[in-house]
Amino acid sequence: MAIKRGVSLYSYQQAQFLGQMDYRDMARELREGLDCDGIEIINEATVPGYPFPSREFLADWHNTLARYDLTPVALDGFLDTLRFRDHVMTKAEAAELIKLDLQLAHDMGFTHIRTMTGLPVEVIERALPTAEKLDVKIAWEIHAPIPIKPDPTIQGLYCESPGTAVADTVEFIEKTGTKHVGFVPDMGIFMRAPYLSGVHRLIRTLEDRELAEQISELMEEVPLSELGAEVEKRWPGRLNPQQKRALSWKMHAAPEDLELILPYVFSIHGKAHNMVEIPGKPGQYEEPALMYAEVIEVLKKNDWDGYICTEFEGQRAYQDRGIEHLLDEVEQVRRHHEMLKRLIGE
Amino acid sequence: MFESFLVREGSLQNVEKDGFIVGFKFDVRNCDYRGCFLSLHTGYYIEVDGEVFPVELQKFEINGKPPRSFDEIAKCVWEHWDFDDWATVYVQKPGGLSKGKHRLGIYQGVMAQYGWMPHDQEWIDNPPSPLEIRGKQTGIYYYDLEVE
Repeated sequence: MAIKRGVSLYSYQQAQFLGQMDYRDMARELREGLDCDGIEIINEATVPGYPFPSREFLADWHNTLARYDLTPVALDGFLDTLRFRDHVMTKAEAAELIKLDLQLAHDMGFTHIRTMTGLPVEVIERALPTAEKLDVKIAWEIHAPIPIKPDPTIQGLYCESPGTAVADTVEFIEKTGTKHVGFVPDMGIFMRAPYLSGVHRLIRTLEDRELAEQISELMEEVPLSELGAEVEKRWPGRLNPQQKRALSWKMHAAPEDLELILPYVFSIHGKAHNMVEIPGKPGQYEEPALMYAEVIEVLKKNDWDGYICTEFEGQRAYQDRGIEHLLDEVEQVRRHHEMLKRLIGE
Repeated sequence: MFESFLVREGSLQNVEKDGFIVGFKFDVRNCDYRGCFLSLHTGYYIEVDGEVFPVELQKFEINGKPPRSFDEIAKCVWEHWDFDDWATVYVQKPGGLSKGKHRLGIYQGVMAQYGWMPHDQEWIDNPPSPLEIRGKQTGIYYYDLEVE
């Protein structure tokens, strides 16, 4: 039983977009740069000709995994409900798409698929026989603003009852006894401060340059978690609602909430926006917005066995600028794994 | 996302047909972190030097097939625009663009989303214009490009 390290190739989306890395380069980085073995992909980013890849691609995929001794963890899929254009995708059709992803995951060697947040029980039920037949599990992502504990006030996104979706799925798992349904919690539900990437972007793009300068200076004085409240206190009304959002944050779930669902957690998305050096500890890094230490403590205490796959996404807040200002994803993921190794106790 | 990198540098060109210049074209990428089923792509907000060119004047070339209107693209529910692939946008404009520098403003319409949303039926009945789709783009992107 152990916490293992992996990477979702989502983390290198910018390098892929710019033609700097393909999945083989990423696989090599996992083995040689990070010394980890877990690999997760986005179906519509990595698989050419999705959802029907060529046999040549599948052979090259398996060859690449063999070459770098990697273990496929999760295949991430989507539910684009407007795709048919003449009607909204029905739940039965959604289940058909899930079945295609289950088959693809099976062909690529993944143990589970990560589906959309709040996947309705009816869709799971329809796709479950295929999951069991192929022995590939269905895990939906618990992504902000969805909590683990029920909160029926959350409405109007993903599905009919997003606020209680976790409890609904747990009820289904317990009622049926299935081993093929669970969750992929995203670390973004365990917030402790706003993402630095958003704060940087706000400061850079604010038309009120005087205020931008003041916020920048204030960051030296107050903890990141209090920045938004302090800005509002000192300069009330100077930021519009959209700008305020860059400084706001919410703890959607407490780390110990994980214990309610841990047997059904198949892997975890190790979200990161900015990995920054811990003051006074050269070479050690942290994600100032997220509660990694507390979450990993809960996982260790409960002997959880599975992969945390890095999902770096801070890069996109800097892409309105020239190529020289972009974040280096490879370096950011390496920092993330320094942190993971240290917290796991490898 | 990818605000500075959506349009390929040096790709803005006039398009000739039967000896006449009938419009212009440029190359684009899907400015998300994934590709999409083609039917989700609804076209572009495009302005050149302040003149707006609506979706009806646009065609889209991908997957080695001839340029298609966005009405045709809407029917391609199984064909995929892979994340790595450049596509070409064709815009009808008799006479094309003059030689020299032009300012292109662009916003890509892709109805990609994360599951069911309250606006689903409304968007099926009345598809939003590219600018009305709140995607990962922060606003209209502007590029200074040259027609040689």
